[in-house]
Amino acid sequence: MNSFAGKITVLCFVASYAVTFALELWRLKRPGPAARFVALGFAAAGLFAHATYLIMKSQALPLGTPTGSLLLIALILAVFYFFEAIHHFRIAWAIFVLPIVLILIALAVITEDATAMPRADSGWKYFWGVAHGTLLILAAVGVSVGFIASVMYLVQLGRLRAKVAPNQGLTLFNLERLELMNRRAILWSFPFLTAGLLAGFALQVYDGFLLQDWLNPRIAAVVGLWVVFAILLYLRYRVHVRGRALAIWTMIAFAIFLIALVSPPHVFAPGAQP
Amino acid sequence: MNLLLVGGSYKTIPIELREKLAFDGPKLPAALNELTARFGCEAVILSTCNRVELYLARPGSPSGLNADLITEFVAQFHQTGYDAIRQNLYSQTNADAVQHLFRVASSLDSMIVGEGQIAGQVKKAYEQSREAGATGSVMHGLFQQALAVAKRVKTQTGISRGHVSVSSVAVDYVRQVYDHFDDKTVLVIGAGKMGALTLRHLRDLHPRRILVTNRSPEKAQAVAKECSGTPIPWERLDDALVEADIVLSTTGAPQPIMTRQRFEGILARRSRGTMVILDIAVPRDFDPAIHDGDRACLFNVDDLKRIQEQTIHERQQHIRPAENIVEQEVKRYINDIRRRRHGPIIAQLTQEAEAQRKAIVADLFAKLTGKLSKEDCDYIEGAFKLMQNRFLHGPISALADDAPEPSRHTLLEAMMKMFRLS
Repeated sequence: MNSFAGKITVLCFVASYAVTFALELWRLKRPGPAARFVALGFAAAGLFAHATYLIMKSQALPLGTPTGSLLLIALILAVFYFFEAIHHFRIAWAIFVLPIVLILIALAVITEDATAMPRADSGWKYFWGVAHGTLLILAAVGVSVGFIASVMYLVQLGRLRAKVAPNQGLTLFNLERLELMNRRAILWSFPFLTAGLLAGFALQVYDGFLLQDWLNPRIAAVVGLWVVFAILLYLRYRVHVRGRALAIWTMIAFAIFLIALVSPPHVFAPGAQP
Repeated sequence: MNLLLVGGSYKTIPIELREKLAFDGPKLPAALNELTARFGCEAVILSTCNRVELYLARPGSPSGLNADLITEFVAQFHQTGYDAIRQNLYSQTNADAVQHLFRVASSLDSMIVGEGQIAGQVKKAYEQSREAGATGSVMHGLFQQALAVAKRVKTQTGISRGHVSVSSVAVDYVRQVYDHFDDKTVLVIGAGKMGALTLRHLRDLHPRRILVTNRSPEKAQAVAKECSGTPIPWERLDDALVEADIVLSTTGAPQPIMTRQRFEGILARRSRGTMVILDIAVPRDFDPAIHDGDRACLFNVDDLKRIQEQTIHERQQHIRPAENIVEQEVKRYINDIRRRRHGPIIAQLTQEAEAQRKAIVADLFAKLTGKLSKEDCDYIEGAFKLMQNRFLHGPISALADDAPEPSRHTLLEAMMKMFRLS
């Protein structure tokens, strides 16, 4: 089993997701149950390969590295796609989710030789390190889902503006539902993002404050992301900004999030890294 | 199978005659009882506003049903002249009748191709016949299959995609914006007849409240009463628009009642989401420049009609694939019937030949006891088996390739006589 799992490469799950994506594109032209089930089969195979790969490489690719975190977020989004493709099979999820999954994997491959991380040991530093990494990953899932909902929202809005026939082209959720999805994603992310930042802050307290820590691109981007989220919540609940503006702000948040992900990680003092 | 179809549709019968020939209310069970009693057959009557069709089958009988006699029955039943209806009715038998039913159930023969009602009507017709005790094995299998084909056509082609009435298209647009309606306000402006059907569709969404306004308070009151809405004075139109999520406008005003400038003031006061405006009035009530696809989505009659025509055009492109599915399913159904009919005869023929071969071989071995080795015995037995198979191959293939007309018993009967099968 181990030798089989050891042979799984990034190409295995990238190919599976790519075939799923192609089949879903085909399904837009010729809808039918056969293509759907084959697509789901490929997606399931991709998920299996992806999860196995991450488990096998967990020692070499800790979550604190750009590659590790990008691959983990890609896996969570692929699971999200799989779940939604089963529950809301008429919606063109693949067109919106799978490209993001593939882009995240591509970024993971590109950033593979990023800074090597010192391994964690036990103690409070280790705890705060794990908490910091896990909370930011959970927040990242919300940011990604919010981005997907925002893109879908803008596409649906474009269709309505152009008065495209409701039964033509992509099948999407209605505006109200997409806005709700976006709002829930923001509400999910913000507490995790805040707690993740606080955990990171606790780590810095351990290490002693240094100005250059705050100039690290990853830390700066995560703080920037938090600021954008705070603005988003303010706009939504105090100014009652809705719809398009909210979607655009969420997309800005996703762009900052991508910058944070691909930036070389901040190296805490030995023993703290998640 | 001996299946016969006699009937007519909007293509062959004018509406006045269709009304006369309808089997509605108590006429349906009465006609079914009379048909089964008089002709000793299974019967299903499909009677809708666009067609009247009688599907009859007399399984196991050597003689088929006579279309003229059935036409005569229809004329008598409805007290109409035979000659008056004969030219308007068509009749089909067996495979052709099966194909017709499959096309009808799949809405390929409907006035609006792809309409969703007909499959339900076919199902209801079958159930009513079953309740009247007029169905048997043929009708059961046939109608179940027809409904399965209709479902396959619907799911595997885009023939039923979209709506083709202006009011349904309007509601489709509303559904593109809103997910639930229990917190939404519908505002009805005017009391135009064109909007009545759309209003009925909007009411079916169960909005939180319906506001009605009209220049004439009496008319507003009347419309509000009809749709369980609340009448509001015309002077409060702008306030109502601030609160509204969905607007249905159907006034007879010669000029637009809402300019972009006036509407901008309304939008500035709104804190709610996108407003959907269905402007069904001609001339239009709302300035088209109001549509921005974000804060306000405005659809007028031209937009809705364009979508209606687009949908009809789109459906046309799915007719060929749908017809292919029907053809496949007809072939499969007929082959199935044939297999069921020929299967026992082929089995009997094979058993008979098998028994005779074994008897002859046993007799031969008894006479040659001691003169043959085990290998010789096996060789002889194999040779006889081969001869039997080669001999039966022709007749069995001929039966299997028998013409797909389920009523053609000639070859089957000839073989039964030739081989003395029961």
